[in-house]
Amino acid sequence: MKKDGIVYTVIFTFIVSFVFVGILAGVNSVTAEQTARNQKLAFQRAVLNALHIKYKDNQEIFDLYQRDIKKSSRSTGNVVLYEYTNENEIFYIKEFSGQALWGTVTGVLVVDQEVDRIVGLDIISHNETPGLGGRIDEAWYKNQFDGELLSPEGKISVGPGGSGDTDHQNHKVDGITGASRTSSLMGIMINAQLDIFKSMLKGGSK
Amino acid sequence: MSEKSPALIAKENIWVNNPVMVQILGICSALAVTNTLSNTLIMTLGVVFVTGFTNLTVSLMKNLIPRRVRMIIQTLLIAFYVIIVDILLRAFLPEVSRSLGPYVGLIITNCIIMGRAEAFAQSNGALISFWDGITSGVGYMLVLMTVAAVRELMGFGTLMGITIMPQGYMAWTIMLTPPSAFFILGIIIWMAKSFMMKGEKAK
Repeated sequence: MKKDGIVYTVIFTFIVSFVFVGILAGVNSVTAEQTARNQKLAFQRAVLNALHIKYKDNQEIFDLYQRDIKKSSRSTGNVVLYEYTNENEIFYIKEFSGQALWGTVTGVLVVDQEVDRIVGLDIISHNETPGLGGRIDEAWYKNQFDGELLSPEGKISVGPGGSGDTDHQNHKVDGITGASRTSSLMGIMINAQLDIFKSMLKGGSK
Repeated sequence: MSEKSPALIAKENIWVNNPVMVQILGICSALAVTNTLSNTLIMTLGVVFVTGFTNLTVSLMKNLIPRRVRMIIQTLLIAFYVIIVDILLRAFLPEVSRSLGPYVGLIITNCIIMGRAEAFAQSNGALISFWDGITSGVGYMLVLMTVAAVRELMGFGTLMGITIMPQGYMAWTIMLTPPSAFFILGIIIWMAKSFMMKGEKAK
């Protein structure tokens, strides 16, 4: 067969693609379980972080999550809520994702049962610039949301860049210096999540 | 077959004919991924791995590849190795995979890899091609690590996450954004070039 002939070229390209894609599919399915476990762990860790539950290692994350976090009966077909009960108070947990400046941010948001306060926030993944928008994953930024009282409309607002707003009664968080787009998009994302929480948790009871 | 010795190839790829400083290849990632040392190290290790194995595979297959589809085959091989790196990172180093985000996938578009496959592996033996790929990757890595060291030190005040700058150091925000890599890379190329030219004059 002529090496530069069309038949050889087509067959060769086909075989090469077939073999290499086959190997990739193999490697992918061998590691799929491990990858799924990592993703599950990342989610569970974020839930515990947002609830401020302490843990020592991955095994403890798994155990605590299994023991304390339940899927909420307020979940609907489209939106899954989880709940955590501590001293008769129920906290509602939701995974969220939304568009920030460079890509999708996924995280976990926790609110109290009246949807008056944010309990905590943790980020699972983001593609923001390290050192700028990427600072949404830093403790000072996330701690601003801990116990933050919502405005009468049930919202938070994002102030100018700063080093963290420690007043948790003013329904305001500081943005990140040099990353105002990421900061304001995070605000929009969280307010949208708060709306979902409100419609699911307050809608029926009032 | 090439007449060049392994030592000469290494010297060319790392210094005299460095892919970033002299050939100005791989600039996209040099700007995008160099603001922390740890991310840069892992991404460039990925490039070293992919360049080495792509060269090896292209060289082994070179007599079978029809000329008119050789670039498509090279791209396929590059993509193959990059996806392997991506899958392995996701499974075994999820934290790293998370902080690199889409940059691993972007290794596919790194011109150095295809450049070496086309310029070297197509016409040389397997082992020497592998060596050429590895040293080209190392040449790329050394330049990027230098850029990253400057950016991390000035942008965060740290090196490999360890605080170096005294307390109260005002971080330079511009160092965290890609434009700063332009300046730093430009300065590095300028310094390296003047150093090389001095060497040539002395001869």
